Amino acid sequence: MSSSAEASAQLIYPQNVLANASLLNVKFISACFAGAAAGILGLSNLSGFALFLAATLLTSACIWGVNCKGKPGKYVHGGIGELVNPGQDNAFTFVLVWTLFYAIVHVYD
Amino acid sequence: MANNAVSLYLDPQIRDWVLFPITLVMILVGVLRHYVMVLLQSTPKKLPRNALREQRALARSQVLRATAAYSPLPPSFFHAMTESLSEAFAAGTYLKDGPPKEGEAPAGPANPLTDPSAMEGMMGGMKTQMVMMVPQMVIMGWINFFFQGFVLIKLPFPLTLGFKSMLQRGIETPDMDVRWVSSLSWYFLNFFGLNGLYRLLLGNDNSADSSKDAANSPFASLNAAPTGPADYNKLFKSEIDNLEFSNAVYTWLGSDVEDRVLKRYNRLPQTTKAR
Repeated sequence: MSSSAEASAQLIYPQNVLANASLLNVKFISACFAGAAAGILGLSNLSGFALFLAATLLTSACIWGVNCKGKPGKYVHGGIGELVNPGQDNAFTFVLVWTLFYAIVHVYD
Repeated sequence: MANNAVSLYLDPQIRDWVLFPITLVMILVGVLRHYVMVLLQSTPKKLPRNALREQRALARSQVLRATAAYSPLPPSFFHAMTESLSEAFAAGTYLKDGPPKEGEAPAGPANPLTDPSAMEGMMGGMKTQMVMMVPQMVIMGWINFFFQGFVLIKLPFPLTLGFKSMLQRGIETPDMDVRWVSSLSWYFLNFFGLNGLYRLLLGNDNSADSSKDAANSPFASLNAAPTGPADYNKLFKSEIDNLEFSNAVYTWLGSDVEDRVLKRYNRLPQTTKAR
């Protein structure tokens, strides 16, 4: 059985990879809700970013357990690294939603 | 200094008339930008059959070569295809204008300035650039004109003093915490933060994404210029050599599949027959 990186790269079926990319949407929505939670709770500075980190880890744990059934290498190309990484887009989304809810709840009367 | 304990009270009408409208406008302009791009994209020019055939022949041989190392094709198929392709390339049967006549040198590549199809490609790239830049400039001007001179929002995270001049433009207070910012900084927050929302609304390949703008502009102009229109005759000749190389690395995925299957189920006979 060929086990080199090239051979396994050749065996990947693109349609399935595309279907698995719906993970990005899950990460985006979790970033939105984490931002809303951080804003409503009034967290600032490091505690806000700590909530983002905790939310990311919780989301990755759920995806790892429920979707990937403990074997992320089978479903996601980069393995567990790519699973946990929220990506630049979601980090900015978190900051935006966090700022928005912080302002609505705590800054305005 | 009691500055940190005192917080500003902001009128809720600022929230209603500035905060939400800026976000709403940016979302809508992004969606509009995407659909304008979709409408502006001219349908790719339909190539005549001969031109298409020469491109496809090249693509076929490239695919064969790329998968040669662990090829799903059994040897008879692979060798038959490579031989027929090599012969066709050598004789020039797939060329757009037909095989070169006896004693006549084959024509060179078309000059990009005179070839109309290449010009359209360059124009299309420039059109997209303009569509991307204009809405951003317009919104920034609109915000600077209407929403200037007041504090809009308090950032939940601290920033260094260096950001004060950019984020508190129009508010001349040397003492105020950098966390109180003007509307332009809300624009920047939205600019970066809405990409995820666009990806959700418009699909992965949308044109409203600002994170892809950086990738598009410098590289497109650098990569498009050097290649020029391809000279298929020379490409075909080099493909003949490449196909020979791929013949050397070719192995079939199923070459000893009988032994592998037997080994997996532990039924491989220990002794091999004496030959």
